[in-house]
Amino acid sequence: MAMFRWGVNFDPFVGLRHIQRELSRLHESWFGESRRIGGGPYPPVNVYESPEEVLIQCEVAGVDAGDLDVSITGETLTIKGAKRPLPDEEKLNFVRRERGSGEFTRTIVLPDAVEADRIEASLDSGIMTIRLPKAAAAKPKQIEIKPRGPEEVRP
Amino acid sequence: MTKDDAVTVEASRSGQELGESAFSPLVDVYETEKEVVLVAEVPGARREDVSLRVDKGVLTVEAGTSYETPPEKYARTYLGFEPGQYFRAFALSDEIDREKIGASVSNGVLTVRLPKAAAARSRRIEIKTAD
Repeated sequence: MAMFRWGVNFDPFVGLRHIQRELSRLHESWFGESRRIGGGPYPPVNVYESPEEVLIQCEVAGVDAGDLDVSITGETLTIKGAKRPLPDEEKLNFVRRERGSGEFTRTIVLPDAVEADRIEASLDSGIMTIRLPKAAAAKPKQIEIKPRGPEEVRP
Repeated sequence: MTKDDAVTVEASRSGQELGESAFSPLVDVYETEKEVVLVAEVPGARREDVSLRVDKGVLTVEAGTSYETPPEKYARTYLGFEPGQYFRAFALSDEIDREKIGASVSNGVLTVRLPKAAAARSRRIEIKTAD
């Protein structure tokens, strides 16, 4: 975003006034593989699974809990939300703008049946954690193996 | 809150070490009459995880994450992100008052306020007329 405005308001120090050079950019070009966040579906999610539960974490920095909506239909979990723009965004004089804002929806097909009534979601420092206890039918069950008694031996 | 501690070379060295493995947080930077505001996304980082340093005109933002990931016994069914370190550095203009830099973290978003030194603000000069 070029911030130089030539003409009546020409200011030779305009370049100095901005935070202009990011050393991290340099790092990226040196090390080839960029670890920049972004790209891919938003929000990024991690799905973990144990015999008892499915655990989902997602990165929603800057999204208020009140702007998040988590719902489940069968084995499909839907995360909806809105990331609000900065206050008075349209009036701000941006030097750099990488964070986005707006509404998002992400659906996740769960690896197992879960108990919809017992799902818990919490938000802490931009990370939402959703715990979904597995339905009894989806939990692994130990099958008892009965030893065959000698009395059962038939002639 | 941070101020210029006049830390020596350390800032840049740790930066290079982190440079390879750290995530570069997404930022918005905007400027007003009185200050430059830097807004960076650091999901998972709390106030105590963030460190800001000003050294030789370079502002470095470093942050770790403190949220818990499930223990090893959980299968990693799908991974879209990973916890890690955030690192990004910015060259500061001489106009920024380094003693008055302030920062806050809320909901995974770091906001750094970089006030301009009073001398650098543009001000209106009154033209007096000689009667």
